[in-house]
Amino acid sequence: MTQQELAELISVTRQTVIAIEGDKYSPSLEVAFRIAHVFGVPLEQVFQYTPPRGRGR
Amino acid sequence: MSRLSFQEKMLWAQLVGIVVVVFYGHYLVHAGPGHHYFHALLLILLFVFGSARLLARRRSGNVVEDERDHSIALIGARWSNVLLWLGLVVILVLYWDHGSMNSAHFVIGILFHLLVLAGSVRIIRELVAYRMSA
Repeated sequence: MTQQELAELISVTRQTVIAIEGDKYSPSLEVAFRIAHVFGVPLEQVFQYTPPRGRGR
Repeated sequence: MSRLSFQEKMLWAQLVGIVVVVFYGHYLVHAGPGHHYFHALLLILLFVFGSARLLARRRSGNVVEDERDHSIALIGARWSNVLLWLGLVVILVLYWDHGSMNSAHFVIGILFHLLVLAGSVRIIRELVAYRMSA
């Protein structure tokens, strides 16, 4: 699947897909769920959260 | 470096347009009398252009409502609004300080430069945001 095709399926621009892939932009929860839905996988398989260092309690 | 998106190209076009208008406006200011009407005319043109652009964007159904574009536009609008409020405060301080604004031409001149400055800051801030998240 191309970036353009994915962008059309999740209703964003190709630039936003590029930014998400490059970890330059964090998508909204809705877009994140749409991406997971397109690939037919759970959300946590597409996005992982890494807590920032030195901020944990 | 990634290619410029449509939104970025539009922002660059707007920035160039503002620079051209400002240079042309200042050329006319020093060209002769009656120049303040040019400021008023530019304000009206800017308002008409902004309204037309807003209407065109709302009517075009094929434009993708992108959340990243929206968030970047909000950042630019926030900076622009802060500047406009600051300018408004400066105008009020000038009014209280001098008791009057001397003439309508003076007020139009200040408003014109304030709008141009706020617009330029909005565009530059959005361009920076696009580059940072490209």
